[in-house]
Amino acid sequence: MTKSIKVALAGNPNVGKTTLLNHAAKTNLKVGNWAGVTVEKKEGFVSYRGYDIHFIDLPGIYTLEPISEDEWIAYNFIADEKPDVVVNVIETTNAERDLLLTTELLEFERPMIIALNMSDEAKKLGIEVDAEHVGELLDVPVIRTNGRNGDGVEEMLDKIVESAERPRYPRAPKYEEQLETLLDRIQTEGRDGRNDSGAHHDKLTKRALIKMLVDSDGRYEEKVRLEKLYKKGIDGIIKDERYAFARGLFDETFRKRKSRNRDITDKIDKIALHPILGFFVFLLVIFLLFKISFDFSTPFMNWTEGFIDNLLAPLALSLLSHVGAGKWLPQFFSQAIVGGVGFVITFVPLIGMIYFLLALLEMSGYMPRIAFVMDRFTHKLGLHGKGMIPLLLGFGCNVPAVMATRTLENRRDKFLVMAMIPFMSCPARLVVFSFFAVLFFPHPAVVIFGLYLLGIVIGLLTAFVLRKTAYRGKLSHFVMELPPYRVPRIRTVFQITWVQVKSFLYRAGTLIFAASVVIWVLLNTPPNLKNQSDSAAAYVGKAITPVLAPIGIKDWRISTSLIPAFLAREIVLSSMGTIYSVDIQQKTTEFHFVPALETQLNGLGEATKESLMSLLTPKIQTLQTEGGDQNLQNVIRSSFTPASALSFMIFLLLYTSCLATVAVMAREGGKKFALLFLAYSFVMAWGVAFVVYQVGSLI
Amino acid sequence: MNTFQGAPKEKKLTDTAIADSTAQKKTLKDLSIGEAAHIVDFFKENDAVKKIEAMGLRRGKRITIIQKLGRGIVVKISNSRIVITSDVAKNIEVE
Repeated sequence: MTKSIKVALAGNPNVGKTTLLNHAAKTNLKVGNWAGVTVEKKEGFVSYRGYDIHFIDLPGIYTLEPISEDEWIAYNFIADEKPDVVVNVIETTNAERDLLLTTELLEFERPMIIALNMSDEAKKLGIEVDAEHVGELLDVPVIRTNGRNGDGVEEMLDKIVESAERPRYPRAPKYEEQLETLLDRIQTEGRDGRNDSGAHHDKLTKRALIKMLVDSDGRYEEKVRLEKLYKKGIDGIIKDERYAFARGLFDETFRKRKSRNRDITDKIDKIALHPILGFFVFLLVIFLLFKISFDFSTPFMNWTEGFIDNLLAPLALSLLSHVGAGKWLPQFFSQAIVGGVGFVITFVPLIGMIYFLLALLEMSGYMPRIAFVMDRFTHKLGLHGKGMIPLLLGFGCNVPAVMATRTLENRRDKFLVMAMIPFMSCPARLVVFSFFAVLFFPHPAVVIFGLYLLGIVIGLLTAFVLRKTAYRGKLSHFVMELPPYRVPRIRTVFQITWVQVKSFLYRAGTLIFAASVVIWVLLNTPPNLKNQSDSAAAYVGKAITPVLAPIGIKDWRISTSLIPAFLAREIVLSSMGTIYSVDIQQKTTEFHFVPALETQLNGLGEATKESLMSLLTPKIQTLQTEGGDQNLQNVIRSSFTPASALSFMIFLLLYTSCLATVAVMAREGGKKFALLFLAYSFVMAWGVAFVVYQVGSLI
Repeated sequence: MNTFQGAPKEKKLTDTAIADSTAQKKTLKDLSIGEAAHIVDFFKENDAVKKIEAMGLRRGKRITIIQKLGRGIVVKISNSRIVITSDVAKNIEVE
């Protein structure tokens, strides 16, 4: 049996813990949430020298005197779960700050390893560190690592195994003399009547002693005397002692030379944080984000669609008829699977590209700068600059955006932003918009842009109303770090993108598949019916049609497709595909595998070329000028007018028709908030769509 | 440079008590872009102050103002950059 080692990765934010974990665990990563909270939990698994090493990436924190949720998670993990080894990752360029956390970690007296990360970056800035001396002073193995190329990761694994075989406990930090005497007294006093102290020997850890001292009220007269002497509370004294220890350690082991190398971050920030230029940098970044994600992925989307429709589907159908499958199996396959799931798969290139670019942006270090540059405008609207990041993420997907609101410490700021996010249009909605806009309007790009804008306006309006009613009060202050700019490691960016795409594919394979099957079944119940409008699906759809008729949705087939769309908006099209394709006569053509495959491969080359070419043009090209399911286009054209198509798109834009978003809102803001918001979004969507439809019908 | 415009003008009058005790003292909020100073003390010991201390803004540290925009101030401290708002900055005494 292999033995397992539990390793906690602890460090300040942006020190490169996650990158080190990626190097160590490669693809063997798991992303989830800490129990009960929506703080992301990353874990990695490595088999090394006969051990199963289980890494837990703690949230990036500055201190273990917990105030925020992140800090509590890290504190509780180290205090309660007692990891076998704690790897303290230090950003060498900011060691003086980082050593506070190191000091606090030492108090826990768990076996520890210090990883001096990015020492190459430090060297360039003229910062030298005597790693051996750090190790001697603290009695802790110290290694140098490099997140960029993975140097030192193997040594880290070696030290972890060594530490597991022969646990080496660090020397707890020594503080002010009188404080130490007092802590010693508590140690001797508490020696009796104690069972689980968390210490490796029959002694309390320094951390436990400090906690007892702070909680002791007036029990120790020495404490009262100390507090009088320093004119502050015991917690303040201890805090100062920790800073002093960290400072002393830093002065003893680090040296700073004058370096002629100017920090690249300062140079970029001269422009990126500039009052005027900075705003244009922001606009440029956002423009590029959308331009690249749309234009680059469109040819691939068209190709994927062709690949499914012209190769996979006919191939499967011919195989089915070969093995002599009955009549309903091929029908089920082409209607429920190709029409439903296949359609949604087409959007993988777009979603993948958006996630790729967002990950790139986040890892480059630019993201928090958006908060700083935009706060000047947003704070006048009563919104926190930090709220811009979740809102921008909302354009990628509302779910992680709602989760990202946890970076807003203030409850009021958090709820305001959360109530705006669902109005930020995500690619799932774009899927529907691009289909309808191309079909009914001469300038689809203008319509789509208008819809995005409408979403933003409604979001701002919602925030404005909330600020005047439920969330009065002042905008809170903020404090945040601007990390240095770094060239993102492309492999890590790909890994992050892949995790997201995988979860989308998983949804397509489960939720969307299930919805397609249910619809298909409902449409074919009772069996052998002659008229579609007698089916069970039609019955449900017809029941809700009166509610939707005033906004122009009078066809039962559309109202029916809205029901499963609550699982995820993009399903609306696939269920329309399922419902309508029942009407369409399947044309059977001869299928030859080899020429079809050749066509597809050539098509992929063409798509790549087209993608790269589109990046050279300065404007965002129209989405999907042609393409789309021709059959579906034709039947939908006959079910809508431009006015009802527009009203339908607005309804789908504003109504939070997304189970995942509602679920995550319930988790972040409570069930009541999520359900109230859902109802609000429905009323809002209906109202705006009503006005648009009624006015549009007059024209 | 532009000062925090969100605060009402009467604010200064209502805060006379604090203003008196800190009238002569220069705060981080008063520094202009490019100016460097040392942190002397904090007027308050709240969560925001605890956090910025943990982030490296500690007594005796030398800081430089990199940019000011609206209520936001970018402070450079050794090799890190920290954004604080002016309502936090006015509680930090510098010289």
